[in-house]
Amino acid sequence: MSTMLEQLKEILVSKLKVTPEQVVPEATHEELELDSLAVVELSLVLEQELGLTISDDELLDAPTIGDMVALMDERSAKV
Amino acid sequence: MAGIDVAVTGLGLVTPGGIGVGPSWAAVCGGRSPAAVDPALEENTVRISCRVPDFRPDDLLGARRAYRLDRFVQFALVAAREAIDDAGLDPKTWDGARVGVVLGCADGGPGTVEEQHHVLRHSGATRVSPLLLPMQLPNMLAGQTAMEFGATGPNLVVATACASGATAIGTARDLLALDRCDVVLAGGSEAMITPLVMAGFAQMGALSKREDDPTRASRPFDADRDGFVAGEGAGVLVLERVADARARGARVRGRIVGYGASADAHHMTSPHPEGTGVEDALRSALADAGAGTGDVGHVNAHGTSTPLNDLAEARVLKRVLTSDPLVTSTKGVTGHLLGAAGAVEAAFSVLAMEQSLVPPTANLGTLDSRMEIKVADSPTVLRTDLTLSNSCGFGGQNVVLAIAAA
Repeated sequence: MSTMLEQLKEILVSKLKVTPEQVVPEATHEELELDSLAVVELSLVLEQELGLTISDDELLDAPTIGDMVALMDERSAKV
Repeated sequence: MAGIDVAVTGLGLVTPGGIGVGPSWAAVCGGRSPAAVDPALEENTVRISCRVPDFRPDDLLGARRAYRLDRFVQFALVAAREAIDDAGLDPKTWDGARVGVVLGCADGGPGTVEEQHHVLRHSGATRVSPLLLPMQLPNMLAGQTAMEFGATGPNLVVATACASGATAIGTARDLLALDRCDVVLAGGSEAMITPLVMAGFAQMGALSKREDDPTRASRPFDADRDGFVAGEGAGVLVLERVADARARGARVRGRIVGYGASADAHHMTSPHPEGTGVEDALRSALADAGAGTGDVGHVNAHGTSTPLNDLAEARVLKRVLTSDPLVTSTKGVTGHLLGAAGAVEAAFSVLAMEQSLVPPTANLGTLDSRMEIKVADSPTVLRTDLTLSNSCGFGGQNVVLAIAAA
């Protein structure tokens, strides 16, 4: 079982074509060039691939990759 | 707008002949079509298409940029970059506010629409991509080109079906004449080879059914022509006022000296049988160029290989032009690039004059006996100072560009 960070990284790289080296816990939306459309896409993919329901607004409120991973961990604990 | 002298200083092409001006020109001069039975059209009744070979958007544009762009925008960005380089311009240093973008397409991004419609039907509305609209809207052609190159001047997409690319060039010329900007990236792009669009064309009876011999299916002006072959790609021209181009020491490759546009007001798909609308556009273009009906040496015809278009167009050329110009249709090789056709063929017209070489009309076996025009059936050395490039769209929209040698 890979960590949540690895799963998020896999999604960002394969679906949103982010460069793998950029996906580190401290990276921000801006650094990854994740605009509002990309965040909606990410929300869709998280639900589709991992069964995690996290809205785009919640993802936008998570300033870094690390914060997104925390949100994913929290949400998956409830599943 | 008589009196305005507009230079073509850069050319960029993505065509079924290849990626780039060199491969595209070599392909049309070679006279062999790359049309083939298309695996993506497996369930269609007509499966022939003429694709851009080996188009790898991730390599050409970067994966991050490419995946958020429909194919019709990808083609345009690649062609625009080639044209800008060819013109010796640098988007890093140019005054973007004086750079306009005018591009044409017939349909926008139907591939993206069809893909997301499939998602809607099979997975529900909550799975539809937020990129659906920003990818498929026709205006994104010019919008994305502006973003890519920092061109913040006038920016628009025109739609006159299969005349769109030519309308874009004519409109760009008007913008330069009005001093709205100093440089325009003008042209057209199209990626309409999708199962749904192709089913629509087939149901209209517009497509060639020659599946047993796809490379010979597009045969403009031939007695046995039976419809067009759909192609895809883009053509972009860098246009500037001649005085500006010369002042910055640019190479002037040709000049857009006349633009004529008209509507048949006749039928939603059929051209007027006597081509009265085409004649109006042609006469307007000549008048705009200050040229006479005896001055034209070469015509890059619309020549789609449909029974109706080619006959009506041939009648106009015979009736109006007294110089018996050498006519060709490069669609014999490329197929019909729809909204990109007018721009790609304007580029071929520039190249024909620059190199004193008229490309052949591929697959011309026997000229339709009702046509009294001279059609190039092989590459022909010809020196001329004035070429016409004709384009006609469904809906009866006609555009003729008069293009002069540098």
